[in-house]
Amino acid sequence: LAAEEEDDSITIKGVRISGRPLYLDMQATTPVDPRVLDAMLPFYLSRYGNPHSRTHLYGWESDAAVEEARARVARLIGADPREIFFTSGATECNNIAVKGVMHFYRDRRRHVITTQTEHKCVLDSCRYLQQEGFEVTYLPVRPDGLIDVAQLADAIRPDTGLVSVMAVNNEIGVVQPLEEIGRICREKGVPFHTDAAQALGKIPIDVNQMGIGLMSLSAHKIYGPKGVGALYLRRRPRIRVEPQMSGGGQERGIRSGTVPTPIVVGFGAACEIAAKEMDYDERRVSALQQRLLDGIRSKVDDVVINGSMEHRYAGNLNLSFAYVEGESLLMGLKEVAVSSGSACTSASLEPSYVLRALGVDEDMAHTSIRFGIGRFTTEEEVDRATELTVHQVLKLREMSPLYEMAKAGIDIKSIQWSQH
Amino acid sequence: MGSACFWFLNFYHFVLPLAISINDWNLLCRISVTFVDKDGDETVINVPIGMSMLEAAHENDIELEGACEGSLACSTCHVIVTDVDYYNKLEDPEDEENDMLDLAFGLTETSRLGCQVIASPELDGIRLALPAATRNFAVDGHVPKPH
Repeated sequence: LAAEEEDDSITIKGVRISGRPLYLDMQATTPVDPRVLDAMLPFYLSRYGNPHSRTHLYGWESDAAVEEARARVARLIGADPREIFFTSGATECNNIAVKGVMHFYRDRRRHVITTQTEHKCVLDSCRYLQQEGFEVTYLPVRPDGLIDVAQLADAIRPDTGLVSVMAVNNEIGVVQPLEEIGRICREKGVPFHTDAAQALGKIPIDVNQMGIGLMSLSAHKIYGPKGVGALYLRRRPRIRVEPQMSGGGQERGIRSGTVPTPIVVGFGAACEIAAKEMDYDERRVSALQQRLLDGIRSKVDDVVINGSMEHRYAGNLNLSFAYVEGESLLMGLKEVAVSSGSACTSASLEPSYVLRALGVDEDMAHTSIRFGIGRFTTEEEVDRATELTVHQVLKLREMSPLYEMAKAGIDIKSIQWSQH
Repeated sequence: MGSACFWFLNFYHFVLPLAISINDWNLLCRISVTFVDKDGDETVINVPIGMSMLEAAHENDIELEGACEGSLACSTCHVIVTDVDYYNKLEDPEDEENDMLDLAFGLTETSRLGCQVIASPELDGIRLALPAATRNFAVDGHVPKPH
């Protein structure tokens, strides 16, 4: 497992690795599907007009391409094309949804309900609203990662302006009960927003069946280009938002700024491919997930899966290995690109708040690894990743005094550690 | 001809006032509407039943631009119904009106397009606030004359 040929090795950040790592971090981002790239290139090289130019062919064909992409995105979620607004990504969509809705209805609606496991952009937007004087309820989750729907129903007040619950969690992959939440919100007359960045094209979504009022979508999680996303905003009953971007009124005033035709076309193409291949991908990814899990569990014990196994998107597997320190595990897995927690939390020093919300102990939270399997993951990659992980975990456990004590039957939690 | 004049004069001066007071006569075919401009100045006008608020504003020289002359193609006749009770008396806006309202500057929960609010008896006393600006970018204060 040491580095082989000198010519193929890469040295970066003081580490030498033999070639590019296997990519198993599909929740962070995905490679662009070659078919998507094919759809995008003409709009960079020859059909490069501004879609808002109304007076010449370049503008007209660019606008037609944008509207075609809009229809493709809408079709994937069961919406009308007029309900889709292109943005720079799911973070912008979440900002528009949370801040925009509450600011528009600020006179009568002062309360927001969300969960403790949301993406940072939703939580940060809620904190921003709190600074402005709104009240926010952060619902706890059960140890399997799902919210208690009865608790949500109780938390709704007459002045609740928004309920925001993400569809598929980016760190642990659990799928929330969207239809039930949508039904409750519809009964109580509260708009339901869901961050579906990780869910689009992976689980079937129907905005009418699920009673969804606003939805954030991202292109680079479904093999599309980075830098583009879309906000779904229901027309009947109409939900209004205060725009975050002021300007010339593009995207019907919801999001001013020239619509970036090439990447929007890429998003549309990615959605169309996802619509056709969702079932096939789901079967393949589930099989690979099972292979990975069985491969690791057959050689290593004391492996905990974080989050519900039944209500889960198969491509996201978050595992904690007891008695092993997470950073050192990642250091040893330099040939596999995986993530500990989520990409946005790996920049900060705090341990994952999602795992803390599940009730996972800090030591287990620190040792979690997230494996992301996708459309282009092969069986060989999964097997090699399994092999490397097992090897590293066993090596670290051999060195671990905690593991020795646990094997000897000592209860780790009963130990009184002395301070030096 | 003489008897016709006699009966007409009798009717107008004696019978009609007994039947309906002037105020009720007004209500039968006109309602009172108050326009509040962005500085808070109020103008009370009488609007015949069946006329749109945009037309009424133009007839009374109130500064409400209607660039598309009531064809649901712009948002410049945007008005805000100050009382939510009066807002609820109006019929729900159609999708086309909502689409244009989405583009209006200073949109509120009780906003409507003035060309789609038609005077009817139950709207008597309605107060309509004019927004601070329209979608036109005349930051120098230029106001286009009504077409």
